[in-house]
Amino acid sequence: MTAPAHDFDADIIVVGAGPAGSCAAIAAARAGKSVVLVERGPFPGSKNMYGGVVYPRILDELIPSWWETMPVQRWVVKRSTMLLSDTGALNVDFRANAWGAPPYNGATAYRPDFDNWLANHAVEAGARLVCSTTVTGLLRDSTGRIQGVSTDRPDGDLRAPIVIACDGVNSFLAKESGLYPHTDASNFTLGVKETLALPKHVIDERFGVRDNQGVDIEILGGTSGVNGGGFIYTNLDTVALGVVLKLPKLAAQQKRPEQIIAELKRHPAVAPLIEGAEVKEYSAHVIPEAGLEMMPTMVADGMLVAGDAAALCLAAGIWLEGVNFAMASGMYAGQAAAEAITKNDVSSRGLSGYTDRLEKTFVLRDHKKLRKVPHLVLSDRVQHKYPAFVAGVVERVFRVDNPHPKPGVRRIVREERKKAGIGLLDLLRDGWTGMRGFG
Amino acid sequence: MTITVCIKWVLPNRDGDERFAGISLADQAALETGLRVAEALNESCTVITVGPAAAETSLRDALACGAHDVLRVDAPADTDSAETARALATYCEHSRLVVCGDYSSDRGSGSVPALVAARLGRGQALGLIDVQIVGETLSVVRRLDGGRRERLSVTGPAVLSVEGSVARLRRASLRATLSANDAIIDVVTNDASGAIRRTPEAAPLRPYRPRARVVPSPTGSSALDRVRQITDTSSSKGHGETVVLEPGDAANRILESLHTWGYVQES
Amino acid sequence: MIAVIPVRDGVPPAGADEAIGEAEGEAVFIGSQADVAAKELTNHGVRFWTIEADLDPNAVAIDVAHVLSTLDRTDSVVLPASPDGRDLAPHIAHRLGRTLYAGAITVSDEHVSVSVRGGLAIADHQPAGPFVATLQLGVRGSERDERETIITAIPSLVSSSGASVSSAVRSDGVLPPDVSTMDLAEAPRILGGGAGLSDGPAFDLLGRVAVALQASMGVTRVITDRGWASHERQIGTTGVVVDPDLYVSFGVSGAVQHTSGLGQPEHIISVNTDAHCPMMQMSDLAIVSDANAVLRELAARLGVEAS
Ligand SMILES: Cc1cc2nc3c(=O)[nH]c(=O)nc-3n(C[C@H](O)[C@H](O)[C@H](O)COP(=O)(O)OP(=O)(O)OC[C@H]3O[C@@H](n4cnc5c(N)ncnc54)[C@H](O)[C@@H]3O)c2cc1C
Ligand SMILES: Cc1cc2nc3c(=O)[nH]c(=O)nc-3n(C[C@H](O)[C@H](O)[C@H](O)COP(=O)(O)OP(=O)(O)OC[C@H]3O[C@@H](n4cnc5c(N)ncnc54)[C@H](O)[C@@H]3O)c2cc1C
Ligand SMILES: Nc1ncnc2c1ncn2[C@@H]1O[C@H](COP(=O)(O)O)[C@@H](O)[C@H]1O
Repeated sequence: MTAPAHDFDADIIVVGAGPAGSCAAIAAARAGKSVVLVERGPFPGSKNMYGGVVYPRILDELIPSWWETMPVQRWVVKRSTMLLSDTGALNVDFRANAWGAPPYNGATAYRPDFDNWLANHAVEAGARLVCSTTVTGLLRDSTGRIQGVSTDRPDGDLRAPIVIACDGVNSFLAKESGLYPHTDASNFTLGVKETLALPKHVIDERFGVRDNQGVDIEILGGTSGVNGGGFIYTNLDTVALGVVLKLPKLAAQQKRPEQIIAELKRHPAVAPLIEGAEVKEYSAHVIPEAGLEMMPTMVADGMLVAGDAAALCLAAGIWLEGVNFAMASGMYAGQAAAEAITKNDVSSRGLSGYTDRLEKTFVLRDHKKLRKVPHLVLSDRVQHKYPAFVAGVVERVFRVDNPHPKPGVRRIVREERKKAGIGLLDLLRDGWTGMRGFG
Repeated sequence: MTITVCIKWVLPNRDGDERFAGISLADQAALETGLRVAEALNESCTVITVGPAAAETSLRDALACGAHDVLRVDAPADTDSAETARALATYCEHSRLVVCGDYSSDRGSGSVPALVAARLGRGQALGLIDVQIVGETLSVVRRLDGGRRERLSVTGPAVLSVEGSVARLRRASLRATLSANDAIIDVVTNDASGAIRRTPEAAPLRPYRPRARVVPSPTGSSALDRVRQITDTSSSKGHGETVVLEPGDAANRILESLHTWGYVQES
Repeated sequence: MIAVIPVRDGVPPAGADEAIGEAEGEAVFIGSQADVAAKELTNHGVRFWTIEADLDPNAVAIDVAHVLSTLDRTDSVVLPASPDGRDLAPHIAHRLGRTLYAGAITVSDEHVSVSVRGGLAIADHQPAGPFVATLQLGVRGSERDERETIITAIPSLVSSSGASVSSAVRSDGVLPPDVSTMDLAEAPRILGGGAGLSDGPAFDLLGRVAVALQASMGVTRVITDRGWASHERQIGTTGVVVDPDLYVSFGVSGAVQHTSGLGQPEHIISVNTDAHCPMMQMSDLAIVSDANAVLRELAARLGVEAS
């Protein structure tokens, strides 16, 4: 490892030991730079919450055979999308048992375990981790160049030519550095989640899995009129059930998130899955949802922003992915920062290797492709009219109304569309956006 | 001559999660007291723990807070009090003051400090609720029963134990925290009298249940008096009512009961 | 089994009667005016020995060992887990070379159960031979013994040998209970707060709600350790012993060291998230709810302002 330049405590300071921060630290330390990873919790992941599924493919590069040591609850072999109307439900299931064997696809995991495991890799790579320490500001020299961070510890200034902000949603550092132009509430959703305890065999039976196979269910509708979505994920002996709610709508509806969860739990399609479960934990966290529309500038002189701090979370209906984007962007930030140190150019130009990498990979490509999807999925039409419409159509297609003959599907669609109050033009337009977005 | 602080690293429950392990508030107060006394008397401060390798996180925290030296005596986490005290006494022999917590968070018997004092043949001042440094002397207050307290002066080698309220542990500086991370911790696997003996199989644990209390035998002169006495004393709490309530309803229910029992008037 | 009762100025410690009961009425009283304390407890014992001595722990251990060998007693020794008992027992155990069971709930030759983990669990032990134990206060209760008590004075080996115990620790006297404790000790109504109160502001409400209900505020050791309340507010073995008519607890688990100082309240209400903890078990009204939120609601109803 190189000794940091004169007057500096390290080459690179990474703020926040979440998935983004730990991957940044691993990458930079592997490149031989001296790295300090600062985390405010008593240990990495101690206070971090999320739905429950990670897609760690990106780790192939940093931690070969990661699946052998990663603390996993269950491997996801089944993904379902549930469309809920008030009383009905349409389920689209996809099952791939191959996902339950190496090299795997996604897994449910507890964040305190997962984040801690990832941070340990950073420490093994040579990064220095300090916990129970909150970064409180940026240090700058007289010309305004970033020189490190201040913390809440006595004698708490830490100096380095590059700071990587991985401090999560609403990043205090990105804001302080002026990289975040807009922090409009409409760009955020609130995620709330209950962890429900059930015996393992009950979970296996109800969700149709065994051993360490798991299920990932995304839900559209069922959020009591507040725009958003829901999810149900299986852990070994708990089930995570949550909703993601659009903030302004939540305020307007005057509903409390825990009421909405309670109503979702009572839905006839959900209730049997979690019957008899005991609530072990309730937690809430904000998610950057608007994707590309709200991303900050990711590079400044002496500073990079990654993960949720850069609004890289993908919260687009049937996808709720943030950890993989955080790990990838963190890794690229770490690599670019190391390069900049080697080149001895920590200006935004010297650090531009970061944005290049983001542009070339799924990190920004997925976001570009799905640019309009969050808006579509969370639009009033999709939220309030489509679930009832679709469920209505399907219900009538399957209903046996003898002695009446079965009506034609086209007629059903027309009638249900009118009943749901959806204009034909809107339907076509949404269909088109969806095709382009998802397709 | 040094000031030696003894701290015990404890898992939150028997096979609990190491990430939540740590030392009791009393041990934190002991560490702070030891550091302050060392500063005032111009002595160095050594922190010792008897425990497994994982206990070194607590020693690193102690280093970051300003301890000059730390030492781990390698031993299983459930080493019993007598064995712990034997190991501690070996390494405290030459220190001016030994500062312990009043309790460890698992065993919590508060017996280790007195066992160390007994082994060293030292004076002791235990269960302290106040420690003042007056020149070379410590003026301390020890709790007794019935709310009484005993004031003591500590003038020479002694063993102290402090309650958690005596001092709040300082927050380590960032620099010290970073360098404590890299510090090499001294470990001894043997002491003068041989390796730590493995403790006999740890005693099985079960949830706390009160034992049946003895009912004083009746003393009245007539048979009726005696019967009355027995029925009175055993009329102690039958099982009450258990209800699950939302906070607002709970508050109403409390006020309602207080009213029924005559503690508050209708407002 | 034989009890050892440390005495200060003729006053026996809390729990002396229970320790003597556990030893079936046989006890050695040691300390200043040990005979006065022995007489006070005559209707609890059958055979008492008294030793007039200083309460220096090393000296007490020598004297106790000497008395036991003179009396040819090789059975187990039990002391009350009062502050003095707790501090002396390890010295006696060390001198006799015996195992020490500190903070026991039950004591017999075959089986000793000890309270551990802040009173939440019990560890069961099978002693291999005679031992020394301290008995947790208030767990046993005591019975009167109508038999005549024989009291025998025994000279202290340490004082008679003229060996002066020099120690670096000198007593500067006993302070009476603080006046500010007295309001708690004699309070007819107490609101108690424990670890279930999550932060400073929530805890502050407890004091103010107490005032509104004309009650005093008491706390558990966890709260004094956190520095939220002074030591005089702590109820229990190492704090104040109270005996109110009404006790309302918020987030208190009811560890034996706490409840042993609680007396026998006429009415107990408890608010706790754990329906099964000892405090809830001994309540007239046990409410499963978040204590912090309930305090806020109570404050609102009583017109107490949140700070
Ligand atoms: C309800 C919900 C469900 C979700 N479900 C999923 C899902 O199923 N799958 C998925 O992939 N993603 C999911 N996400 C998104 C995912 O949680 C985030 O995208 C991901 O955690 C981002 O990682 P990060 O490292 O950028 O930030 P974080 O995980 O938020 O980590 C930030 C870290 O920085 C620390 N920190 C913050 N400020 C400071 C400071 N000033 N000083 C020091 N340290 C600081 C924090 O303690 C934390 O450890 C979900 C989110 C929510 C809210
Ligand atoms: C030698 C010795 C002497 C001691 N002397 C004393 C003494 O004098 N006095 C004393 O009090 N202790 C004493 N102790 C400590 C005692 O053993 C216990 O550790 C202590 O009483 C526990 O205090 P607690 O009930 O506040 O905390 P805990 O035992 O941690 O209990 C907290 C309770 O709060 C509940 N809770 C948690 N969250 C909430 C919520 N949101 N809402 C409602 N309820 C909640 C939990 O279910 C739990 O029941 C002594 C210990 C020893 C070893
Ligand atoms: N394993 C240990 N290592 C160091 N100090 C200890 C250990 N166990 C107990 N102590 C000290 O003795 C005090 C009382 O502990 P205990 O007797 O276990 O309640 C603690 O507060 C510590 O200061």
